[in-house]
Amino acid sequence: MKSLYLGERAEKGLIKLGTVIIPGDKDLPSFSQLEQLQEIDIMLKELPKDDREGLIILLSILSLLPKFIIKVLLLIIEKGATVNGPIGSPFRLLNMGLKGPVFTLYYSNNSEQNQEILNKLNYATQINMKEEDLMLQKVKNNELIENPNQEQIEEIFNNAKKNQKALRNIPLSSRVKQVQNLLITIRDNEELIIKKIQEDTKKSAGDALVSEFFGVLDYLHFLVDNAEKALKDEKIKTPIALLGKKSRVYYESLGTMLIISPWNYPFYQAIVPIATSYICGNITLYKPSEVTPLRGLIEDLLLKAGIDLDFIKVIYGDGKVGSQLIDQRPDKIFFTGSVNTGKKIMQQAAQYIIPVELELGGKDASIVFEDCNLKRAAKGVAWGALTNLGQSCTSVERIYVHSAVYEAFKTELLNEVRSLKQEISKDGDFGHMTSHMQTKIVAEHVKDALSKNAKLLTGNNWDYESDAIPPLVLEDISEEMLIYNEETFGPVLPLIKFTNEKEVIDDINASDLGLSASLWSKDKAKCDRVTRELNVGNVSVNNVMLTEGNPYLPFGGRKYSGIGTYKGISGIRSFAISKSVLIDADSSKIEVNWYPYTEKKYIGFSLMTKYAFTKGLLNFVKFALKGIGLESYSQKAKR
Amino acid sequence: MYDMIIIGAGPSGCFLANEYVQKGMKCLLLEAGEHYQRHTYPRSELTGNSKLYWSGGIELNSRADIGFLRPKAVGGGSIVNQALLDPFDDIAFDAWREKSKLNFFKKENFQPYYEQVLNNVPTQEIPKEFRNRNAEIFKEGFEKNGYQCAPLVRAQKNCQYEKGNDCIECLNGCRIDSKQSSAITALPKALDGGLELRDKMTVIKIEILFNKCYVSAVDEFNEQYTFESGYITLASGAIGNTKILKMSGFDKKLPALGKNFYTHPQFMSLAFYDEVINSHKGPFQAMKSDDANFRKNNFKLENVFGPPVALSMLIPSFGKSHMQRMKDISKIACIEVAIRDFIPGEIKVNSKGKVKIIKNLKGIDLETKQKGLEAIHNIFKSTGAKEIIDGQFGIGLHLMGGCGIGSSDSKSVTTENFHLHSSRRIFLADSSIFPSAPGINPSLTIMAQSLMASEKILKEVS
Repeated sequence: MKSLYLGERAEKGLIKLGTVIIPGDKDLPSFSQLEQLQEIDIMLKELPKDDREGLIILLSILSLLPKFIIKVLLLIIEKGATVNGPIGSPFRLLNMGLKGPVFTLYYSNNSEQNQEILNKLNYATQINMKEEDLMLQKVKNNELIENPNQEQIEEIFNNAKKNQKALRNIPLSSRVKQVQNLLITIRDNEELIIKKIQEDTKKSAGDALVSEFFGVLDYLHFLVDNAEKALKDEKIKTPIALLGKKSRVYYESLGTMLIISPWNYPFYQAIVPIATSYICGNITLYKPSEVTPLRGLIEDLLLKAGIDLDFIKVIYGDGKVGSQLIDQRPDKIFFTGSVNTGKKIMQQAAQYIIPVELELGGKDASIVFEDCNLKRAAKGVAWGALTNLGQSCTSVERIYVHSAVYEAFKTELLNEVRSLKQEISKDGDFGHMTSHMQTKIVAEHVKDALSKNAKLLTGNNWDYESDAIPPLVLEDISEEMLIYNEETFGPVLPLIKFTNEKEVIDDINASDLGLSASLWSKDKAKCDRVTRELNVGNVSVNNVMLTEGNPYLPFGGRKYSGIGTYKGISGIRSFAISKSVLIDADSSKIEVNWYPYTEKKYIGFSLMTKYAFTKGLLNFVKFALKGIGLESYSQKAKR
Repeated sequence: MYDMIIIGAGPSGCFLANEYVQKGMKCLLLEAGEHYQRHTYPRSELTGNSKLYWSGGIELNSRADIGFLRPKAVGGGSIVNQALLDPFDDIAFDAWREKSKLNFFKKENFQPYYEQVLNNVPTQEIPKEFRNRNAEIFKEGFEKNGYQCAPLVRAQKNCQYEKGNDCIECLNGCRIDSKQSSAITALPKALDGGLELRDKMTVIKIEILFNKCYVSAVDEFNEQYTFESGYITLASGAIGNTKILKMSGFDKKLPALGKNFYTHPQFMSLAFYDEVINSHKGPFQAMKSDDANFRKNNFKLENVFGPPVALSMLIPSFGKSHMQRMKDISKIACIEVAIRDFIPGEIKVNSKGKVKIIKNLKGIDLETKQKGLEAIHNIFKSTGAKEIIDGQFGIGLHLMGGCGIGSSDSKSVTTENFHLHSSRRIFLADSSIFPSAPGINPSLTIMAQSLMASEKILKEVS
């Protein structure tokens, strides 16, 4: 039992008191055998402060008394409670205050054990939920779409087509409102969400809170504020040659959007693309990683927010299911994950010309110049390399340090890294690896580096097996090592010495990957120069992994790191499809560019073209006159 | 800036809000409790008691022998009650007229408003075929003793008893939206009409300065907000309204504030039978007393039951004997006496803002209880009960008065135009203005009275 309100002593007192009141018998468990004693917090949270504190003191006192004394006290209290008038009042208060919590916890809590107790009392009640509420129940009972077979997958797509029409009837403003509801629902379910994320990922509570929970709310806030702006019909300039006509761009739903997400940020990578896709009016099919499915959580939150699950389907399964889904030809695929899987998805999508958006891996560098604040840079680099235990596509995986400050920076970094705490609780800096498969890759990279003369400066106690990988600072890194070239996706901090700017830029740009980079320097001109030279999608200057922190900034990689961007206004639009529209009025007018193409028209058009694309006021006047002449000729020209 | 801020989203608040917005007023409805949907209602007594009532479930009088159940949710009492809709009779209105010195308290004046409510709130008589054994015992006992009873009419639409639904589950909110709480009758119409609702917002103070009203409230994180409006409607019930007014210093000009508090104290009696009764199954309350003699003697009997925690608190003692008793709850029949109380209580608020309720059962009210218990025992004995346990503890579900309506500004708080004697900007029309205890379920009359009041209030503010 771990109550947030009761101290150890009061907990002991409660169990003692409870066992006197409910000692258990052959059919029923005793109070001390209850599994959900911490549910007393539900009660204590709502009690007025004075009453709560009084109860805690009372229970603490009881913890010191032997059971038979408690029994005698209860008997006296019961007797006293029957005395009418003010004399009996304190006894009645005690009678209620002591029995109330015990009976409530025992005869009603939210556990399965409670059902067993009520069954023993022959007390069973039920309510048959309405059809539309049954899904909620299913979510609760975990009856989810799991490893669907071919037939079920076809049905999902058939239904998606039908539901596209229904979804089109929900206007954008209503979808925005629903996403706002989703934001509130998520905000109000912090405890549940963090717990679910931690169960599946083993990441620290802080990592789950900062990157996933806060990150999602921050993005949804942006989305709610900007979706209507991003998706409203756009007025487009019409050139003078098309005088009198109007041009527009409409942003429309794609149809059915398939989202496939990785295991490193299972909540963020679910909600962010799902909400964007839904707000754009797509039927959204979402396949989480089989490693971190967060079973039922997404459906639960969507339903609580009042979003119809016919429009958003969560489909659980492995890569094979993903491939079967692609074969049903969704209208677009949004994939986040490894380079290898990304290539396979693109290959499969190529058969059907399905557009893909790929957010793939990185081997991101952080450049520490000699003129920066070393302490800040060291703290920043440590966080960038270790947040989520390095399991981020934009984790710092190569640390370039100027030779002039190499030793000093190393000392700062080692101090920082050694001060950190690996613990899943709220008080821990980072947790454990989510996937043991990834632990093996980290082991392989580190062993390979050490065999090629790299030096391990921290984490010597790691056994290359445990998922609780400590931070691994390495030096003497060279180009032939795996850790230099390939994404490690773990808590590694390889230090690389450099002497000049050009060398480090060339080195970074030589990589096949081009996701993001960070740099640390006082010199603004240098920062700007290097930022422009780096062939990566995102750069944080004097900070790290922070472009993702601003939902207004588009995010995406270059080269093998991916195609396209999401987030930002352009990112919202990447979940929609644009339609270009040119509107003219109904009239009897015959356009200049229509038939017949007579010789006279040819000469006129040729001259007009020349005037149109030559600068100068006189030419503009000639162009206008020629245009008017051609217009009037076109009305009567005949073959 | 709003035209009207309504404080409390119970039956009165929801109905009034709807009338206001339909007339084009810009309104804000503040509610301390949560706005639940049918699938988000609490599923256990533990969670339900804690979340749907003030102070974690129950508030006690100063002598700790009556507990008050004060609902806290959008929909208020209509979320957790048994949705009994009974109009008042002449006896009730005569008493109100006499006490308030206001002549419009007449059955014929309320009739059109009763009809208007019932046109908007579907009701159903509990079908005979779904009555459970507890209801049958009730009926048999009444017949054997020459008492009159009648089937119950409740605000509900489609409880689907044929599917085996048990209404006792809906004491924490109806999960199939069959119970016609004001959260699903008046409120959706009001929201469609432009009402703004903010739940989990507890009002701590109201102020009037230079013809503007300021309402201060705190959210669930204790963050403070202040809202401005032209007028305020208080609809937080007897205790809520009194507390807000006292904390805002209105008691100085309103000597009767908090006085004349009534609550229809109810006492449940349990009877053990040899047969299985399963009082918790089906509609669980299908009959009511309908006896002129009972009415004359100021009590009525109800065919109720309680879920396990409630029963455990009624069954005396503890330890193994108590557990043994609990294993027999399927063999318990239950009847409750509800007392039309004449000796008023008083609602006080201490300096820390904590409510203290003085309400003692004595004199004529105690005699009424004895008469009721006698009838209950007659019913149980005539139907073969083995043992009867009378609940020692009274329950106050109908919280009335504290801001009573009347012509005298020393003896009442609210005027015949439904505003405070001391301010034309603060209106009230809920159970807090009841001049005395009617002895009949107040729910229908609260809604009708709110509709009646809305006409006067709208005239007053225009």
